[in-house]
Amino acid sequence: MQDLELKSPELPAVEQTPTTNGLDGFSAAEAAMILFEDVTKVYEPDVTALNDVSFVIEKGEFVFIVGASGSGKSTLVRLLLKELEATKGRIFVGGRELTRLKRGKVPMLRRNIGCVFQDFKLLSDRTAYENVAYALRVQGEGRNSIRRKVPEVLSLVGLADKMTSYPDQLSGGEQQRVSIARAVVNHPPLLVCDEPTGNLDPDTSVGIMQLLYRINRSGTTILMVTHDREMVDKMRRRVIGLEDGRLARDERRGGYESE
Amino acid sequence: MRFRILAAEAWRSLAANMSTTLAATVTVLIGMFLVGATIGVGTWLLSWSDNVERQLVVNVYFCRALSCPNAGDAKQSEMDKVANQVSQFPEVRNVDFVSREEALDIMEKRTPELVAGLPSNPLPDKLKVTVRNGRDVFVLKQRLTPRPAGVESVEYGGQTARKIVKFVALIGAVVVVAVLLLLLASMLLIANTIRLSIFSRRREIEVMKLVGATNWFVRGPFMLEGLICGVVGAVAAVLLLFVTKTVVVPALPGDVESSSGAEAWPFVLQAGVLLLIGLALGAAGSGLTIRRFLRI
Repeated sequence: MQDLELKSPELPAVEQTPTTNGLDGFSAAEAAMILFEDVTKVYEPDVTALNDVSFVIEKGEFVFIVGASGSGKSTLVRLLLKELEATKGRIFVGGRELTRLKRGKVPMLRRNIGCVFQDFKLLSDRTAYENVAYALRVQGEGRNSIRRKVPEVLSLVGLADKMTSYPDQLSGGEQQRVSIARAVVNHPPLLVCDEPTGNLDPDTSVGIMQLLYRINRSGTTILMVTHDREMVDKMRRRVIGLEDGRLARDERRGGYESE
Repeated sequence: MRFRILAAEAWRSLAANMSTTLAATVTVLIGMFLVGATIGVGTWLLSWSDNVERQLVVNVYFCRALSCPNAGDAKQSEMDKVANQVSQFPEVRNVDFVSREEALDIMEKRTPELVAGLPSNPLPDKLKVTVRNGRDVFVLKQRLTPRPAGVESVEYGGQTARKIVKFVALIGAVVVVAVLLLLLASMLLIANTIRLSIFSRRREIEVMKLVGATNWFVRGPFMLEGLICGVVGAVAAVLLLFVTKTVVVPALPGDVESSSGAEAWPFVLQAGVLLLIGLALGAAGSGLTIRRFLRI
């Protein structure tokens, strides 16, 4: 996390070079971060959520996944977390093939993927500090290192003074910052965000995006599912578009709609 | 370290769901109290009926000229032979020879006025045979049919013995069924509590899985919750039973406790059994629910 600067830079349009991060648990350092190979997901009996989707995401990339509701974005995220199994095709994350990953190894996979959701998924009966510490404790982290890491990451997301606040005492943007802090406190090489700004007003969203950008600059690969047209157009990052479960476009510096 | 976290999580959840936790613990308490009382009363009854059975006696009466006109008085050699034969039977615990003089003495002690009016001793010599088991009186009767030479009759409690033996079997069956039902009810109630706890903590479970908690880490607090419910309920039941024992038992009529030498299980053994059952109930109850409702 030491790579993350505390200044918040302007929303950038800078090409950045992939850097390596602490890939603890991930093997094959040279492999791509995410590889989808002809992935099809059919929900029984006959709903095809993803149809023959292939793409590669390199380490350090910042990728938007866009598409209408029902286009398969959420399915894609759930496949990445191995909440679902692909019907056909192969998925690699950090060089590991998910389809061949044993069930008992799934927790290890998830420790290497930070997750941020539209509804924050914070525990309402715990303070911001405890919510972040919870993630570490669950992973068997020692008390001393928890005491050191949690304030560090909370001040990184700009909540140094809100550590003892409960989620319902925080604004939406602040809650999302807590959830981002929880997602990155363990330095995962990959951060998956499922509409992180979906519940937030435009100004707050900009703050969240700046935070994500800084995290990306430190070398963390970010995959972000979004409906936020303005944000995608402003950032000019790689955009993967899904339509009815098919890969409709994959543009290096795309906008929300294809040009 | 890990266990401390698990315990902290379990405790947190128990405290957060105080009402359901309390409900489950109290139900376990009631169930276990009843189980304990059933064990206490049941084992006492079993031991009592065992005692009654043990006291069942078969009397083998020898012939006298009066009663066996054909054979006349039984000869000493005949009596020795029968006594010898009977004492070889595996069902027999003890054989006592009671001479007619001794029998008269005993009768005189019981009913002196009756004996005083007798012109001579009308009683026959007899063997007083104690058997190992209530059922064995029938076997013994069978073995002595046809009657050996010199034996006038073989008598036992007859109908009474039959009834006692049946009664004992019935008591045993009722105790077993009652205990099983109570245990089942307690287990299902624990299972239900854990289910409520799982539902009320859906979000927490979701987050746990999200941040990479191992399956055992997710299950642990729920397992522990079930165990705590079971054990606390059992401990409370043991305490309640102890109070009941010290208050109720001395108030019983004296002869209930002292007569027939019947004994319930020792209290410590009973307490130990209850604790073990509580532990098992907790584990089974939470295990059951976790398998069904905690898909990981």
